[in-house]
Amino acid sequence: MIYYGRQFGTLIGLLALCLALWILTPHFLTVSNLLNIAQQTSINAIIAVGMTFVIITAGIDLSVGSILALSGVVMATTLKAGVPWPIAVLVGLLVGFFCGIVNGFLITRGKLPPFISTLGMMSVARGVALMFTEGRPVSGFSDQFRFIANGEWFHVPLPVIVMIGVYLLAHFLLTRTKLGRYTYAIGGNEEAALLSGVNVNFYKTVVYGLCGLLSGLAAVILTARLNSAQPIAGIMYELDAIAATVIGGTSLMGGEGSIVGTLIGALIMGVLRNGLNLLGVSSFIQQTVIGSVIILAVLIDMALKKQKK
Amino acid sequence: MKKILILFISTALLFACQRGEKTATGRPVVALVMKTLNNPFFIDMQAGAEEAAEQLQFKLIAQAPERELDVEKQMQIIENLIQRKVDAICVAPSGSREIVPAIVKANEAGIPVLVVDTRVDSVSLQQAGGFVTTFIGSDNIDGGRLAGRFISEKLNGKGKIAILEGIPGHETGDARLTGFHQAIADYPQIEIVASQTANWERDQGYNVFQNILQSHPEVQAVFACNDMMALGAIEAISASGKTGRVMVVGFDAITDARDAIASGTMAASIAQNPREMGRLAMVYAHKAIQKDTIPPTIPVKIELVRP
Repeated sequence: MIYYGRQFGTLIGLLALCLALWILTPHFLTVSNLLNIAQQTSINAIIAVGMTFVIITAGIDLSVGSILALSGVVMATTLKAGVPWPIAVLVGLLVGFFCGIVNGFLITRGKLPPFISTLGMMSVARGVALMFTEGRPVSGFSDQFRFIANGEWFHVPLPVIVMIGVYLLAHFLLTRTKLGRYTYAIGGNEEAALLSGVNVNFYKTVVYGLCGLLSGLAAVILTARLNSAQPIAGIMYELDAIAATVIGGTSLMGGEGSIVGTLIGALIMGVLRNGLNLLGVSSFIQQTVIGSVIILAVLIDMALKKQKK
Repeated sequence: MKKILILFISTALLFACQRGEKTATGRPVVALVMKTLNNPFFIDMQAGAEEAAEQLQFKLIAQAPERELDVEKQMQIIENLIQRKVDAICVAPSGSREIVPAIVKANEAGIPVLVVDTRVDSVSLQQAGGFVTTFIGSDNIDGGRLAGRFISEKLNGKGKIAILEGIPGHETGDARLTGFHQAIADYPQIEIVASQTANWERDQGYNVFQNILQSHPEVQAVFACNDMMALGAIEAISASGKTGRVMVVGFDAITDARDAIASGTMAASIAQNPREMGRLAMVYAHKAIQKDTIPPTIPVKIELVRP
């Protein structure tokens, strides 16, 4: 079920990229820049974990960016109302989880294709976020809350530690638990999973709930980082998350993929953006390069898969 | 084989992007971080900055997030430029408050920050203990007033008007709107029948104004907080066969808008001077690097463009 060989290819790609940047600019391979990249990657990387679970079930979640915005503004408003920050964070996470569960219900009970239901949720959550705030950002929080983004533990920024925690946990969930096995089974062949007694509806709903929850977690970090929650935050973040997942070797057809691969995928995107900034490359070229890398990664991935067969 | 291919192509891509880097050694490096490059306003700003950088003999790194509203990406760009150890950063903030943490990081790295076009929220900046070298931009409130007075006078102080707003909570749009409201307050018989956001965009300007025309067919004039929305409104007016019967006033006087003014479909626009803004950003970045004293605000000329 787990394709270590394919992750290896992506890892080589990441290392090659780092090598090239190391040759090209003296500013790349410094401890502070690497931590900088890890921190910048954390938000996309966390969303991409949820996306990986969803895509392995052969689904898709287009609503992650909007859920992030909604979780963010609800949490920010709660904070502004004077609620202690741990409770506000919990509220933000629950909003994300709830939106995800609604996605799950629409897909399993409503029998809507994931593309449609999450497209709807994308618009609904964004709209609610805008209504909730009358379109205005909610900003200015306590130092304790902002510590989530600004704090360090042995010089490692807290968002990076949160990201590592999420990846360890997600890797464990996907490889060592029933939830993980069923996630692969549903994506591989939903009919067969159903016939062999897997409660498909339940596990699918859990997976979408998890994806929403992680969007909520990303919202916590983003809000602390910018010291502001914007109802227009996270527009098109779904595409970055899908890109990281796909670069990491998860198949959009479902049934295969890995958490480690997604981490490498997210890092490739982060390193690329960072490197192109360091080199002072025009923003237009940057978009082209990132797009090309996504296409290239999937092409190589497919070629490798064919070879194996 | 495939892995070697990846390695080769990534390296080639990066080397291809590398041109120009080497010629810059020894020269100061100044960064200009804009909101987007999907808007002619910022393309003009970049052009002005490039000319000035050439003259002043330093290397310019011009960057912008892929999407205008993406403050987090803008923050990432600034963090990366700090790693790059640029000598000064000029930034047109995508969010007046959200950019503050990035400015503080630049402060900590000892890199001067010059704010261009959109002001930073001064309260947030103070609370965070950050500071900026100067603000280079136009007075948008004044621009809004110019537009308000122009429309009111054209309508002889009486009539029904609509407004296409920018993104709410966005300092630039809010200031233009404030100025506009101030100006029309002097004309009690001017009535605002609709005021809605079209998020700065041309296609949304079209749709929103089409809807306004449906619900308020009597509307005589529209003020759009930027030209992109104004141009969208012009298309909507033309589609409903009302060309010439609704006066359109935009903001920014971009090339398309100037053409529309020349051809008579747009009544007026307020000209900011992004090219001059880009030039001044470089001039004052240069002064900041040399540690000259710089006034806290550098005004850029603003004017009404009409046929």
